[in-house]
Amino acid sequence: MIRAKGIHFCFKERPILDKVNLEIVPCEILVVLGPNGAGKSTLLKLLNGEQKCLHGSVRINDNPVDQLKPDQLARFRAVMPQHSTVNFPYSVEEIIALGTLSHDRESRSEKLMEEVMELTQTKVLRDRMMEELSGGERQRIHLARVLVQIWEERPYARYLFLDEPTSSMDIAQQHQVLQIIGQLKQRNIGVFTILHDLNLANQYADKVLLMKGGSIKYFGNAKETMTGEKLSEVFGHPISVLPHPMEEQQVIISAETSTKHQSYASFKTA
Amino acid sequence: MQLSLSHKTVAANRALILGMISCLLIISVLLSLVTGAYTISIADTMGIFYHKLGFPVEYLAEEKVAVLWSIRLPRVLLAVLVGGSLAIAGASLQGLFRNPLVEPAIIGVSSGSALFAIIVIVFSSSIGWQLQSVFGEFALPLAAFSGGLLNTFLAYRLASKAGKTDISILILAGVAINALSAALIGLVIYFGDDSAIRNFIFWNLGSLGGASWPKLYIVGAMVIISTLVMLSFPRSLNALAIGEAEAFHMGIHVQKVKYAILFFSALAVGAGVSVTGVIGFVGLVVPHLVRMIFGSDHQILLPASFLIGAILMLLSDIIARVIVAPTELSIGIITAMIGAPFFMYILMNFKLKRVLG
Repeated sequence: MIRAKGIHFCFKERPILDKVNLEIVPCEILVVLGPNGAGKSTLLKLLNGEQKCLHGSVRINDNPVDQLKPDQLARFRAVMPQHSTVNFPYSVEEIIALGTLSHDRESRSEKLMEEVMELTQTKVLRDRMMEELSGGERQRIHLARVLVQIWEERPYARYLFLDEPTSSMDIAQQHQVLQIIGQLKQRNIGVFTILHDLNLANQYADKVLLMKGGSIKYFGNAKETMTGEKLSEVFGHPISVLPHPMEEQQVIISAETSTKHQSYASFKTA
Repeated sequence: MQLSLSHKTVAANRALILGMISCLLIISVLLSLVTGAYTISIADTMGIFYHKLGFPVEYLAEEKVAVLWSIRLPRVLLAVLVGGSLAIAGASLQGLFRNPLVEPAIIGVSSGSALFAIIVIVFSSSIGWQLQSVFGEFALPLAAFSGGLLNTFLAYRLASKAGKTDISILILAGVAINALSAALIGLVIYFGDDSAIRNFIFWNLGSLGGASWPKLYIVGAMVIISTLVMLSFPRSLNALAIGEAEAFHMGIHVQKVKYAILFFSALAVGAGVSVTGVIGFVGLVVPHLVRMIFGSDHQILLPASFLIGAILMLLSDIIARVIVAPTELSIGIITAMIGAPFFMYILMNFKLKRVLG
């Protein structure tokens, strides 16, 4: 389990995160939602050990995160940032193989890479150069890279941090990625992901965290947290959650109508 | 360019590739040993080596032994060490700054080294003497190393923010640092005697003419140590190619790697510069060439850069010695005439691919 207690982070004396308490549990997908500037990325950085918090503590599997060396940390968690650019001509396989840097033996890494490339459908791309690929394909390669890092079965829980992993993808690719992430639940891996797409979040999240202004507004299981009222409050924009006409799902849409005077009151009843 | 080999071919045949480049290096060494105003054949060269190794050989002309052993061999070995270290320092710095336009001479490592070396030489009766009483023969290369390190950190500080290096600022910082260093070199030389002024050309364009065995031992020790250290980070540099944060996520101790590479690249370049002056473009051209042919994996890039850097330096030195014989050109003229057009070619490619930045 990753446990954060009272974490606080300031930038230029302005608090970005204010006294946040949070637990990330293995075998669950935790989706973080919130408007831009809510402190989502900062929270991700503090939890994965990339940045140190001024107050409070973060513990990964009961180890204080600031006392773990980078290679120890790399065995507990993998991180996929929003944008990673590769400045030199590397092949896809070379990039994915970087995920094995923190592993002990190379022989097993081969098998892990095969499995992960199968899962992420990146096998066909393995000999291509990174610079030739589309934005969506590159994101999938980086996903494969971070999966390889924590894919191996180990006696302890691992965690995956994703910062908008689907930002360059079309709708089919987005769902593919979330389905892949869903399979991590069977491997004792906990997922912490920032998403922008509310429907995607609603469909795949086990827990949802709604953030605004550097603090957690709501946290709980997806159905209870993602209500029109709460989402509207957090995003400062009228949002409706409707039942899907065909499936047993929900549809989340903006409730702002083209005529401006019809406003807040009407969607609240929806 | 269609020279390139696939990463699989390269990874599977790494030893073979490095072996083949080593053979080319040996050929270049032999070529360099037999080239010059005084004719020494390959047979003579072999004979002299056998003789020095203690085997009995037929009659050898004293002069030949003297020219080969005291003049040419140290010069050739110096070319190997300096060319190799400039190239591997260039490859490491490019990896560290995540940009293929970085080179020791461009960001000011070399000019900083030259400046501090000149200070020690010109003020040998005051500062230089004190340093020499403490560090002995190491005073000059150590001073050069400090100057190189100072400029590297300066360039890095100016261009980096939160782990990201702005390449245009880095290049401009290099312009400013080089201009300042060159001005200070001029100023220091003003305090020296007439011969020092002639040395100005030497320091700015470089020459392997100053090679001697005692210098070689010192430079050799420093270059070999720093090369071995730089060769130990191929996987970290591969991870850094994606980004500093990403490398940290993958378990790399980024800060440690960064300081080790800044430190040891300055040591390697500084040691070389203290004997040869500033030789530009080797650190830029060679890693590029290697990447074009063998790909970006630092496991091949670093050792191959060292070997090809040595070869390029030897060939440039041969040209420098032959083209205006019986005198010789500054080797920096040759490397710049090869390197600068190559640099332009890289820039043109960048403009096409729009990956600069």
